[in-house]
Amino acid sequence: MTNRVDPAVEEALDTVPLPNVARRRLLSGAGLASASLAASALVAACSKNSNSGGAGDFASTPKWKFTFVNHVTTNPFFVPTQYGMQDAAALLGLAKPQWTGSENSNVGEMVSATNTAVSAKSDGLAIAVVDLKAFTDPVDKALSAGIPVVSYNADGSASDPGTARLGYIGQDLFTSGTELGKRIVASVDSGEVVGFIATPGSLNIQPRIDGAKQAIQQSGKSLKFTQVASGATVQDELSTIDAYVQGHPNLKGIFAVDAGSTQGVAQTVAKYKLKDKGVACGGFDLVPETLKAINTGSLDFTIDQQPYLQGFLPVLYLYLYKMSGGLQQPPDTNTGLLFVTKDNVKPYLSTKTRFEGSSTKQQLVGRSGAIKGTK
Amino acid sequence: VSSAAPTGEDLGAPPRRGGNPLLTVLLRRQEASVVVVAVALIIYFEVVSDFLAPGNVVTISQYVAAPTIVAIGEVLLLVSGQIDLSVGSVFVLAPFLMHYAIDFYGVPAIPAIVLALLVCGVIGLVNGFVTVVLEVPSFITTLGMLFAIQGFTLTTSHAYPAEIPAKAAGLATVLGHGDWSELVWALALVLIFQVVLSYTRWGLHTVAVGGNPVGAREAGIRSGRILMGNFVLASVLGGFAGVLEAFRVNTISPPTGDQTLMFTAISAAVIGGTALAGGSGTIIGALLGAVVLGVLKDGFNLIGLNAYTFDLILGLAILLAMISNVRLDKLRKAGRR
Repeated sequence: MTNRVDPAVEEALDTVPLPNVARRRLLSGAGLASASLAASALVAACSKNSNSGGAGDFASTPKWKFTFVNHVTTNPFFVPTQYGMQDAAALLGLAKPQWTGSENSNVGEMVSATNTAVSAKSDGLAIAVVDLKAFTDPVDKALSAGIPVVSYNADGSASDPGTARLGYIGQDLFTSGTELGKRIVASVDSGEVVGFIATPGSLNIQPRIDGAKQAIQQSGKSLKFTQVASGATVQDELSTIDAYVQGHPNLKGIFAVDAGSTQGVAQTVAKYKLKDKGVACGGFDLVPETLKAINTGSLDFTIDQQPYLQGFLPVLYLYLYKMSGGLQQPPDTNTGLLFVTKDNVKPYLSTKTRFEGSSTKQQLVGRSGAIKGTK
Repeated sequence: VSSAAPTGEDLGAPPRRGGNPLLTVLLRRQEASVVVVAVALIIYFEVVSDFLAPGNVVTISQYVAAPTIVAIGEVLLLVSGQIDLSVGSVFVLAPFLMHYAIDFYGVPAIPAIVLALLVCGVIGLVNGFVTVVLEVPSFITTLGMLFAIQGFTLTTSHAYPAEIPAKAAGLATVLGHGDWSELVWALALVLIFQVVLSYTRWGLHTVAVGGNPVGAREAGIRSGRILMGNFVLASVLGGFAGVLEAFRVNTISPPTGDQTLMFTAISAAVIGGTALAGGSGTIIGALLGAVVLGVLKDGFNLIGLNAYTFDLILGLAILLAMISNVRLDKLRKAGRR
């Protein structure tokens, strides 16, 4: 009786994990259940055969090409983001995503690049929404053309994303600010505290300082928090911070909410040996100066928003959205509340990786020791 | 070389006389060589992608319109032997002025826009005054103005983007937000100013002042007035382009130190055959130059070039387009002799 079984069914059954007894009973055709089980196994086997070629176990897909619209395409901060999107695309067998937009936060250029991507029938869009109104229409246009859109790195303002994007992948800027505020409250009991911000009002940094202010207020501690504009270039920021610190000898805490100001804080604290006076300090992002300062102890912490994930996850989410026919909606994902302190800064300094944008090489970065306390 | 349509292969062809009429036109008209370059690029992008799809043509028109309007003013200045580097900063300032007038001083929308453009005109007048009366080279005058105005905009706007005032929202469709409105404005202005440059006394004096300053003065042309007037026109056109772009993008963006628009406009003028040294140039040529640049930008984005390679290829493409343009120009001049 067994030898009358079609070889295809035989093969299909091999894919179904069954105890030997069940398998024998199935092959001898005993019972209705066995027939349906055989059928489903057959279907599964056939569908697997016809769809081989996709990434992993996935059905095969066209080589989708996604488009990333960025506000500062040549800024080193976004190098890891580009590696992230490329790595995700390679993992999923997709075309290398396009990286475009503006080199200078020129919103007009970004809008044009978005419109062009829609004309080009891009398979999916990831946009850094650095302006509250400008992207509303382009995103609507893309969505009506059936192109899924997510935002990354910047997402309008805290109360209004400014577009109908499906999801946001990036730092929750306001929350990251409140986390900063909580750290400030935890490390300073009373007195003067200053927060430096490069360009007040910019949608990708202002929410952080607002969040910090709120957290300090809610703590009820008698901290005198002052917001100071430090300037648009690293040089300006350093001079401003240096001058402010010299003019305010009673500062108990010095913080910053952008990469340049954070570096300036670190350098100023080191210059005047303020750690010896017990001044608390910290900031955002992982430029090399900042990391060095954390290692030498002249900066208490910096907050990493993991730019690599801001490239990797949008590709993954857009892929799943398309693969599932829209059933898997891109979730809002907060990539950024990783505090880097003296305890966990070592790997950032000792290894050059794609994850930090410091190397183009693909590599397995080893680690050892307990994981507790690194977040 | 075949005597068929002017394709890229004809670029190196020796000048022919009385043969193919198309080739004759190509050799006689100043702007014809830019048209050839533009058409060749459009054909290329249409072959490799869906370049001429209706949606994309709108996008191309938006790449072209603002630089064209700014380039009109630059052509007038370049022809009269001057340059305006501050026009990019004026471009950013104008929509903010409109926003300040409407939202802070309660001025109605249209007068507010007129007011903003008037202020731009005053900036042009200052450029002209410093250049003509105080005799500072316009390159330096307008470079100083570039930073001064950028600083003014940054300070007054707190570097914070502003929304299009609600009172002005009704004008949006006409003033840049409608699919074709920016292009219509650009084409109308090109037409008007080409007529001004070619057929009016103002235009002829502009060419004379740039081509031969001493001779023009001796012939009784009030060159100071011509120059100041052209500075004013360049600033007002720059401001107007800024207002249109603000409506198109639906936001008023603070300056970011980005002078791309100014360089694009000057490049468009030069690609279109305007001499940097003054004395010759056409507005239509600048439009065609802007089309070449717009087609390149949109096309490279469309075929999916990445930002890093984009700059590299765009730079090489501009060089290549310009080399073909200059070579064709030489042929044209040889053919005329």
